[in-house]
Amino acid sequence: MIIFLRRIGAFVARDWRVTVSYRMQFFLRVLSILIVVTTLFFVSKIFVGFADPRFSQWTDPLAAWLTGLAVLNYFMTGFSSLANSIRQEQMQGTLEAVLMTPISVPTVIVASSAWDFVEATLYASLYLVFGWLLFDVHYRGSFLLALLFLLLTTFVLACLGILSASFAMVFKRGDPFGIFLGTGSALFSGVFFPTQLISQYAGTGISSISRILPPTYGLDGIRRVLIEGEGLSQVREPLLTLLLFLVILLPFSLWVFGRAVRRAKREGSLIQY
Amino acid sequence: MSNNSVAISIDRLSKTYPVSFLRLKKAFRRKFKPPVDALRDVSLKIGAGEIFGLIGPNGAGKTTLTKIIATLVQPTTGTVTVKGFDSVSEDEQVRRNLGLASAEERSFYWRLTAEQNLLFFSRLYGLSETSAKQRIRELFALFELEELGKRRFAELSTGNKQRLAVARAMLARPPVLLLDEPTRSLDPIAAARMRATIKALAQDDAQRVTVFFTSHNLAEVEELCDRVAIISKGAIRAIDTPRNLQAQHTEKEQVTITFDGVRVADVELALARAFSDRFFRVEQNQTSGEGDLKFTREVNDEMLNNVLRVLQQSGAIVRAVETQRATLLDVLERYEKFQNPEQ
Repeated sequence: MIIFLRRIGAFVARDWRVTVSYRMQFFLRVLSILIVVTTLFFVSKIFVGFADPRFSQWTDPLAAWLTGLAVLNYFMTGFSSLANSIRQEQMQGTLEAVLMTPISVPTVIVASSAWDFVEATLYASLYLVFGWLLFDVHYRGSFLLALLFLLLTTFVLACLGILSASFAMVFKRGDPFGIFLGTGSALFSGVFFPTQLISQYAGTGISSISRILPPTYGLDGIRRVLIEGEGLSQVREPLLTLLLFLVILLPFSLWVFGRAVRRAKREGSLIQY
Repeated sequence: MSNNSVAISIDRLSKTYPVSFLRLKKAFRRKFKPPVDALRDVSLKIGAGEIFGLIGPNGAGKTTLTKIIATLVQPTTGTVTVKGFDSVSEDEQVRRNLGLASAEERSFYWRLTAEQNLLFFSRLYGLSETSAKQRIRELFALFELEELGKRRFAELSTGNKQRLAVARAMLARPPVLLLDEPTRSLDPIAAARMRATIKALAQDDAQRVTVFFTSHNLAEVEELCDRVAIISKGAIRAIDTPRNLQAQHTEKEQVTITFDGVRVADVELALARAFSDRFFRVEQNQTSGEGDLKFTREVNDEMLNNVLRVLQQSGAIVRAVETQRATLLDVLERYEKFQNPEQ
């Protein structure tokens, strides 16, 4: 376990050093978050006094958007960073050297995406902190319960990320999970508007898409906790749904990943991209 | 070779690309990409402390064999063991005992310094911070990279990048080193130092590092390797010491004898009397005044001894004898030309 953590630490230290070698990029990213939050603040002012009582999470649209963006940023990292880390090492040409050390492929994938989570935590927090510090957005409820939702949804998406990494390993490009989740989550998971509006305007058939996307449940749970102040007993349903996703997806994704690694090693294509 | 002294054992190893997969993929590949036998029934054993060279033309299977030993590619059939560990089922153990230095420049992080790069890899090998730093200092001293430790990898010369790659392979003091053209980009002095380092590693009784070495520099292979395997079209054609390979596969050698104390014409006459059916070229060296006698002989025949006797009988003082046998290149060319299994 100590060696495993030391290896994770090695990857995080490596990526931290690479990140700080591009200081301007880091500064611009923080600035862009500030600009987005400020823009959303002014857009939210259009809706003052127009709150629809049906959408209790959207009484303060700025709070709903900021939690949506913060959480989406984190979810997408959970989903995409596993495949991206492998692809990036392949394209840099460093994967062979890393795989020559006594480290397993799953460890490489988890460890090389660790920095992405550190970064995502920082950037996700910035959405909430800027909203709180500059625009008087208040969050209530249990932060621990919100964190539980965040972690659970991230784990579920990481399972899909493992499937995505398996695709990257065998087919190199063309990742169906990425296309589906990347474009689908923003539209169907309620990041920018309540999901109930989809059934109202597009019918129940289309709105059922949002019900099969894990981020819908994660986002709903976090908003109910942070914005509406609900407790564990009230958010049991989205919590159990996420657990069900995890129980099904975790063993399946690990099984597929094991097959993909074996396949790539037999084909000799592990380091190709 | 006893089992204890075997560092790498390869048994009936074959590798075919591509591997059949889904029917659809297979159907596409059948059209555009017929299967290629990258390795065919390769078997060999390499001893502890041995420097073993693998030579062959491009596409012969050198890289595939190296990658299978390094556990980066799985064989289609056959087995590879390194220090007794199987390369498929015990791949992590194999990698604990291996260091690979390839000629690939992109295998480092260009934004990190040389030291930060080695520190990162030593952590992956499980070295503690203190022992990693100590080991990096030792390796920087060994490869004369002390001044360059704080420089970004991108700023290093090609030769220094290559030295860093060999240093990385040696980070965890592995008993087996796989070196892919380790002196390709080095200047002559640095190349000679690298060869001396490799030799010292293998000869050091405490370490007895086994070196598996691929190179296109045949003179280097000849100088360094205890044994050499010639690989062509995925099959091992011959394994022996460089000297035996040269002797077994080339029949003739050129002999030059430098002599003094007697006229060139007298030597010509004596040789013509003794060997009427042979051709000798005898010339006077205009600068030194010495005579040079040149002839070709069968390897290991009695001709050299007989010619020396005739020279001495005619009053000549022999100053030097040089023989020039065929090089490994000649051996390699010969295999390529005459041992094509398809013919």
